[in-house]
Amino acid sequence: MSETVTLAHGAGGRQTSELIDRVFKSHFSNSDLTADDAAVLTPPAGRMAMTTDGFIVSPAFFAGGNIGKLSICGTVNDLSCMGAKPLYLTCSFVIEEGFEMEKLEQIADAMAKTAAECGVRIVAGDTKVAGKGQVDGVFITTTGVGEIPDGVETSGAKAKPGDVILVTGDIGRHGCTILLEREDFGIDAKVTSDCAPLWNCVKAMLEVTKDIHVIRDATRGGVGTVLYEIAGQSNVGVKIDSEKVPVEPQVKGVCRMLGLEPLYLACEGRLVVVVPREHANEVLTTLKNCKYSEGAAVIGEITKEHAKSVVMTTEIGSQTMLPRPGGELLPRIC
Amino acid sequence: MENTGDKRTAREIITGYTGPKLRIMEVCGTHTHEIFRLGIRALLPKNIELISGPGCPVCVTPTGYIDEAIWLAKEKSATICTFGDLVRVPGSSKSLAGERAEGGHIQVVYSPLDAEIYAKEHPGEQVVFLSVGFETTTPASCLAVKQAIEDGLDNFSILTANKTMPSAYYALKDSVDVYLYPGHVNAITGTKLCESLVADGISGVVAGFTAKELMTALAAAIIKSQEGKPFFVNAYPRVVTREGSREAQKIVADMMEPCDAQWRGLGVIKNSGMKLRSAYGLYDARCKYQIPAIEGHENPACRCGEVLQGKCKSSDCPLFGKNCTPEHPVGACMVSNEGACSAYYSYANM
Amino acid sequence: MCVGLSARVVKIDKKTAVVDASGAKREVSVSLLDELEPGDYVMVHAGIAIAKITDEDDSESDAVMDELLSE
Repeated sequence: MSETVTLAHGAGGRQTSELIDRVFKSHFSNSDLTADDAAVLTPPAGRMAMTTDGFIVSPAFFAGGNIGKLSICGTVNDLSCMGAKPLYLTCSFVIEEGFEMEKLEQIADAMAKTAAECGVRIVAGDTKVAGKGQVDGVFITTTGVGEIPDGVETSGAKAKPGDVILVTGDIGRHGCTILLEREDFGIDAKVTSDCAPLWNCVKAMLEVTKDIHVIRDATRGGVGTVLYEIAGQSNVGVKIDSEKVPVEPQVKGVCRMLGLEPLYLACEGRLVVVVPREHANEVLTTLKNCKYSEGAAVIGEITKEHAKSVVMTTEIGSQTMLPRPGGELLPRIC
Repeated sequence: MENTGDKRTAREIITGYTGPKLRIMEVCGTHTHEIFRLGIRALLPKNIELISGPGCPVCVTPTGYIDEAIWLAKEKSATICTFGDLVRVPGSSKSLAGERAEGGHIQVVYSPLDAEIYAKEHPGEQVVFLSVGFETTTPASCLAVKQAIEDGLDNFSILTANKTMPSAYYALKDSVDVYLYPGHVNAITGTKLCESLVADGISGVVAGFTAKELMTALAAAIIKSQEGKPFFVNAYPRVVTREGSREAQKIVADMMEPCDAQWRGLGVIKNSGMKLRSAYGLYDARCKYQIPAIEGHENPACRCGEVLQGKCKSSDCPLFGKNCTPEHPVGACMVSNEGACSAYYSYANM
Repeated sequence: MCVGLSARVVKIDKKTAVVDASGAKREVSVSLLDELEPGDYVMVHAGIAIAKITDEDDSESDAVMDELLSE
């Protein structure tokens, strides 16, 4: 019989120590992670970025990753969007009684590998065990701290007319993967989540120019939602060419089946980047040479017209408005 | 066409139209959706008016129907299987999404057959499929009931609100010069009806759903209108035949019969609905659960009905954009992206 | 009113078939159709193949236009 997490593992006694030693210390081991009540750290020299994010995903394991990898990518990517080099992370687990120990180890292992890949240290953690049915498997919250190099100032409010809009790869794979695994729509498509840590892509872009206006990760709500956010925050228009937005054929197939729009499917490893036109080509070339952004593409530009809206050039060369994002994604027959 | 020489493209015919005002109504919600998505409206000259008609099953589903489904979920603890389209449609007091938040068991399915499979796999639950839709979708509901009979299920039934289009063509004919007929309805019914509508002075073009097919259908509407007499064109021959699907027609005729149906905004239209024949009463949720008569209450200020009939614009409604938005829809036309009000709201800046 | 999915038939087993739409596969009912073979194209709605279609793409529109303009 497989070993599972019990309420005793969360009670603070010997079994709690065992769980921490076995699962977390063994994977997250580094000199900043100690047995004391708080991590003692040297603050970054420049400006600091800090963010937190909670992760609940059903199922916890999916094609292309698991909740552990996701919880590191999510926070690393949020920091990266501010141009901040991720330095430290904390993680807090709420585990459902009965969760398999082996799965928990796989989650911790994925977290450690992903953190190592982008050079971020996990410096503190917490574990709680909740009664059966009080949580769904495992919930993870990560908090991250990063260092912003001098001269870097990205913000959703900084898009300017004439700027070029890029995405760092084909869109919607994570949302599509989760939808297919969670809902019983009986669809068989080889789709893998795009879940990936993107600091190295951002770092490479910042080496081309520090003058990058906006970086956003297109998570919940997808690229369409991010474009509306940028249009609103910067009070500009966004114009994209629907033919230039990269979407994998299988994702298109699933969307055709269920009547969904790929622009609203979540990504967990894709950025929307807004750069001054003079840097666009070099940024694009650089991204194409980075792991996780080989499929980068220019999808449009920022305009003065149609402020706060997203206008799309369609396959017949006409123009239409991208419908405003709203609510949960539901398959439709109509 | 008297003009000869080089053949003009569908697009040139549409953008170059200079004749009298032409009112074209697309009655299919998916047409509305594709027309917006492709930006076809932006190509139309001023003298072509494209009206979005009542062909979205969500938009014409009356409030009382949602109330019936919620009653089943609440009073009978039934598992409600539904197409995603219906989840956010407002009932008298709440939507199915609201009922789900309060613990109701609402399951989104892709196909009525999946609802039947769900019932087979969950013998402890009473499963009710919300059977909405037009001629295209109705055969699927019949197939699900047939399958449930073959599988010997006693926990599967359907709540019918199926509708048929012909009476709507007559009901709206004075607001329209040319219908874009819903290609997938015609895939089932064939085109004989469209031919007979010509005798009653009603013109239309059966349209497909790709950019090319829609542009071709619009061009056909323009070309034929100039001939000055009622017409019919099948511009979707790769899918639509004159006979339609005999199998589909047969299974529906065997298992269902016409009934009067209420259309949101249009009221009751005689013989415009379909319900299971009494022999299938065990699979008809209304018979099986003795659902009490539920009178739905629509917000009296909502003008969805007039919008559907092309009698007023969305922006004429006092609720539009204030109490009624895509995030918090009051009327059905705001619920789905295809709904006239939702589309008008989303594209208002264009 | 009715989202349709044009898809290629991959496999047939009595009254069901597996169809492929750009790499996304699903089992659908083919109870309403006769004489289907793998490789045929069908129009699918709500999990049911409602029509066998003559073309996988919309090139037939060209013929429709030609006919309209030659009348």
